[in-house]
Amino acid sequence: MFNALEVLQPTILEQPLDSLWSRISPLYSVNEEEWLSELLKLAEPSEEQLKASTDAATHLIEQVRKDDESMSLIDSLLLEYSLDTKEGILLMCLAEALMRVPDKETADAFIKDRLSVADWASHANNSESFFVNASTWGLLLTGKIVTMDETKDGKPANLVNRLVNRMSEPVIRKAMNQAMKIMGHQFVLGRSISEALSRGKSYRDKGYTYSFDMLGEAALTQQDADKYLASYMQAVESVGQDTYGKGHRPTISIKLSALHPRYEVGCEERVMTELFESVKQLITRARALNVGITIDAEEADRLELSLHLFEKLFRDECTKGWGLFGLVVQAYSKRCLPVLNWLAALAKDVGDRIPLRLVKGAYWDSEIKLCQQRGLSGYPVYTRKESTDVSYLACANFLLSAHTREWIFPQFASHNAHTIATIATIAEKLGATTSQFEFQRLHGMGDALYNRLIKDKDVCVRIYAPVGSHKDLLPYLVRRLLENGANSSFVHRLVDARCPISELVDHPVTTLKSRKTLRNPFINLPKDMFADRQNSFGPNIEIESEWQPFKASVDAFMGQETQWTAYPIVAGENLATETIRTVASPYDHSLSVGKVYWSTTEIVNQAIDSADAAFPAWSQTPATERAACLERMAELMEQNYAELVAICHREAGKTIQDSIDEVREAVDFCHYYAQQARQNFAAPKPFTNYLGQTQQAQLTGRGVFACISPWNFPLAIFTGQVVAALVAGNTVVCKAAEQTSIIAFRAVQMLHEAGIPKDVLQFLPGNGATVGTPMTQHKRIAGLAFTGSTGTAQLINRTLAARGVAPVPVIAETGGQNAMIVDSTSLPEQVVRDAVRSAFASAGQRCSALRVLFVQADIADRVIPMIAGAMKEQSVGLPYLHATDVGPVIDQKAQKMLLDHIEVMKKEGRLIAQSALPEWADKGTFVAPTAFEISSIDQLKDEKFGPILHVVRYQAKDLDQIIDTINNSGFGLTMGVHSRNETTCAHIAQRARVGNLYINRDQVGAVVGVQPFGGQGLSGTGPKAGGPHYLPRFAKEQLV
Amino acid sequence: MTIVKPIQIDVANQVFEAWDKLGVAGRAEKLEQAIYSLNHEQAQMARWQLANARHEIGEALLMPGPTGESNVLSTHGRGAFLTAIQPGLTNEQANVGLIGQMFAALVAGNPIITVGPEGQALMDKMAKYLPEGVVQNVAESAMDSIIEATDLAGVAIVCDAQKAQQLSLQLAQKDGLLCQLVEETNVGSLSTIAAPHYILRFVTEQTVSTNTTAIGGNATLLELGSKAE
Repeated sequence: MFNALEVLQPTILEQPLDSLWSRISPLYSVNEEEWLSELLKLAEPSEEQLKASTDAATHLIEQVRKDDESMSLIDSLLLEYSLDTKEGILLMCLAEALMRVPDKETADAFIKDRLSVADWASHANNSESFFVNASTWGLLLTGKIVTMDETKDGKPANLVNRLVNRMSEPVIRKAMNQAMKIMGHQFVLGRSISEALSRGKSYRDKGYTYSFDMLGEAALTQQDADKYLASYMQAVESVGQDTYGKGHRPTISIKLSALHPRYEVGCEERVMTELFESVKQLITRARALNVGITIDAEEADRLELSLHLFEKLFRDECTKGWGLFGLVVQAYSKRCLPVLNWLAALAKDVGDRIPLRLVKGAYWDSEIKLCQQRGLSGYPVYTRKESTDVSYLACANFLLSAHTREWIFPQFASHNAHTIATIATIAEKLGATTSQFEFQRLHGMGDALYNRLIKDKDVCVRIYAPVGSHKDLLPYLVRRLLENGANSSFVHRLVDARCPISELVDHPVTTLKSRKTLRNPFINLPKDMFADRQNSFGPNIEIESEWQPFKASVDAFMGQETQWTAYPIVAGENLATETIRTVASPYDHSLSVGKVYWSTTEIVNQAIDSADAAFPAWSQTPATERAACLERMAELMEQNYAELVAICHREAGKTIQDSIDEVREAVDFCHYYAQQARQNFAAPKPFTNYLGQTQQAQLTGRGVFACISPWNFPLAIFTGQVVAALVAGNTVVCKAAEQTSIIAFRAVQMLHEAGIPKDVLQFLPGNGATVGTPMTQHKRIAGLAFTGSTGTAQLINRTLAARGVAPVPVIAETGGQNAMIVDSTSLPEQVVRDAVRSAFASAGQRCSALRVLFVQADIADRVIPMIAGAMKEQSVGLPYLHATDVGPVIDQKAQKMLLDHIEVMKKEGRLIAQSALPEWADKGTFVAPTAFEISSIDQLKDEKFGPILHVVRYQAKDLDQIIDTINNSGFGLTMGVHSRNETTCAHIAQRARVGNLYINRDQVGAVVGVQPFGGQGLSGTGPKAGGPHYLPRFAKEQLV
Repeated sequence: MTIVKPIQIDVANQVFEAWDKLGVAGRAEKLEQAIYSLNHEQAQMARWQLANARHEIGEALLMPGPTGESNVLSTHGRGAFLTAIQPGLTNEQANVGLIGQMFAALVAGNPIITVGPEGQALMDKMAKYLPEGVVQNVAESAMDSIIEATDLAGVAIVCDAQKAQQLSLQLAQKDGLLCQLVEETNVGSLSTIAAPHYILRFVTEQTVSTNTTAIGGNATLLELGSKAE
């Protein structure tokens, strides 16, 4: 563990940079208890310091409360409308989206949606989503959290009645416009730098200076990146011309994700060259005009990459000897202190000082959410606010130390009076003068506090001010500020005279130490997210300390010297046959993965007979014991993670993240079905029968289940079907897709190792003719689980039905013609990101993948070119490289079918874009992601299982017609919806006959036990895999 | 394979969406009124199917998951169901079974088509409480044309083992969706129809996943972040 106190030793900066760097990444998701214990030592004030900072904070707040001008603009907004908080919430929810809606009809519908009684009430009953978001809005406006209970007590319907009665629709629109203006002014200093400079004069007269930022959404296309670079360049020019006042010169803050469409670890090479050049260009001009540049901090996954880029720029001639090139570091990050430590040593090494803005961090919500979704080892951020404050003060102790401030110019950004007062006392204690650091605050926030500070102390205060068009900026700022609600909370309490000062001046160290645990017990680690089962684990490949060992472990299986051999396994014996197929990698057919011995009809029959004989004993085995085998299987897969990932790459052509997700899904199936079996199969369940008598229902196995799985999820679907059948008490004969038998073979070996008796599970590699047909003709097959094409499902069903025995359950998951509907309230950046991922991730070879995107005509001209631009940035290549977005398709047959379809579409549709293929693509079976505009879904006869997207424009008034045409396709697997109008979302959900509907997100990657998956109509029989109704279909319900 | 679409299937498809939209509670409320016209055993079966449906599928399930998203699992009807007794097997107990099938299929959200005089008798009793077209009846001679119809979602039938096999084969020969056969071959105990999971054979499931942080922020999480112990 990093020794926190060590940073106070001046010798710390003498240590080799490499060694200091190596301390950063291991703290990514370090145990929060342990690390905070360490950090507390550095933040802990002496009694004397504690008194000094408490007194200073108390004094500051007293002064602020005496000042007349303490009313912030946010308060004015509330006063302006005389709205109570909850009514304010309704209007604010409109504010995020209304300005971008181009057509009046959709805008009106959206307003109606937000204000309609029925909709509001239905959300109160059905979904927390709106309330959760609305509560956050309340947080922004009032500084306190509107808890769910309070909201319920508030009787939403009455609230809306009050609002609607008070204001007619035109008045509401007028109020909305005014709210926009006020909010625009509140959050955006100017629409251009010249306006910002002009509006900023009054503050500069008071002694403030500025850092301007052309904020907005991240760039998804090169075109957008170029646009942002031009506006940053323009800003540098304007600020360069500025001669106003004598105080500190304004600077420019830049957001790297705006300057490159792929600012991410996987694209490090591009970041270190293309993005490097863009920033260098900016710096060069800025330096010529003496305008300081600061790089903003973004998501935790990008931290290490941002430091690499910073170092390269900092060591470049363009910044050498300048001293005005700086960056932002977030105190909520567990890696903050070692990052600061490394930066100070870097500055010393180079010989230039780094201006460094220490912020608390504004992405907390999404950081927590992403870690939970990805099953990561832990969180990169602290789970309590006071822990972030402790980290902030610990870091301040380092930054203000004499040996550090020589190399770092700290810029403390906070709106918390206690933090500010404490920083001042720390500075005093460490002998730092007010010229050796500065404070920073957001435009529109903390006015009262800093107006007082600037009067009292001769210290520089810089205002971080967003600049740009209100329409582009407001949604972004609103979302950022929502995630940073804690700041506004303090601001509001500060001016609220009812809040006792003593509550505002608690030292975070005191608060944190008063807790029973340093870690927040209400925010479970990702692995403990589910109450009744363990979550699967995924390494974070964006983080050096997790990626490098993971990569090394996978690489051990990537060489040609590693070859696998798969056999039919009958009663535990590997059987060599005369039919041997070699397996080549889909991305390079000259590379071998191994060989597979195919089953014969005789072996198939032998396997079924053996499984049949094993059935009585297995079905009598207690469900808890069967479930325990699944739990062990989950453990074994995680122990063999690297090998399974390598086989996913080599045999199935899966990319790194897809391979990780594949293993995770298989692990989740084991945990989930084990839990479901323990809950529902372990003992008979009593119920009252129709005659009023108490009876018991016991779920038991049916006999020999046949499982036939596809190549697109060669481990997850294979394992899911097999373990479901097993844990329900059936014995199993299984056939994997002939393209991906090796990984299935390894899974069966592991299942045997996990305790599934050898004769209970039999593995039969081969194709449909050699294995599928004899298997489904066998009279002892008591049920079948199948995932694959609709045509094959029908064929199998016919074969089973023709056996002359009692009908058996057929659980079939088949194809889709999946659509996404996008209306004009949606945010184009979110739409494009989600559509591109839904259509092209896994080379479009997911059952759930997006095939037809319906875009409301009013925004199509904005969205479609953006899709084209984003597709240009997709990298098609070797699946085992971090840089690759899209790997190969599975085989030549699939490739030919897709290429033929592309040729047809070139004639029948309009080509939107096609991503580039690598030069060597013909070594394997690649298909470039391709998008066409077509006039109707009816132009598509059947599903094309690959990276081909079709786009249809629709008129808002034709929405129902669009839903009808989608329903009429007969398929019903997934659908995506992007809309801020919840009435629209609910209407589509009600009418669309699809199994999985995704709102305001991508439509792939269903999670076991969270998003039960499966379709209806031509897309499958149900029940849903990974859902509570799946296992019963594998069982008999016996009434005893 | 002959492609046939009897008028009853068209009618059923037209009323399906509205019937499904009522939800379990809304449908059960209407179906309950129809119970009073049934004899004692039939009424017991009907009442039990409604109670069982409320218990098994009455509420949409809020699935656990990561913060910042909501995942709701609900059930819907599958589409038009044929509910019948194998010709020749009709007796009082089979009629109770037929009522079980009809109520299960209906409360799950499906429009139904019954067959022959016993179907007609039950339909006559129930129809006035239900939206038009939700229950229809065809003559025994037309039963095959319904079974052969391409978008029939399923057949629920009280029958013997041989008939079940024959129907299974007949349904498998059709193109299009895999038509569900929900057979009860134990007329004596109705052990399939009277079991708690029977209702699941008549539903299809829908998962609605919403990113609740699309407009930013996550109040639940913030609340947890500052929650005192």
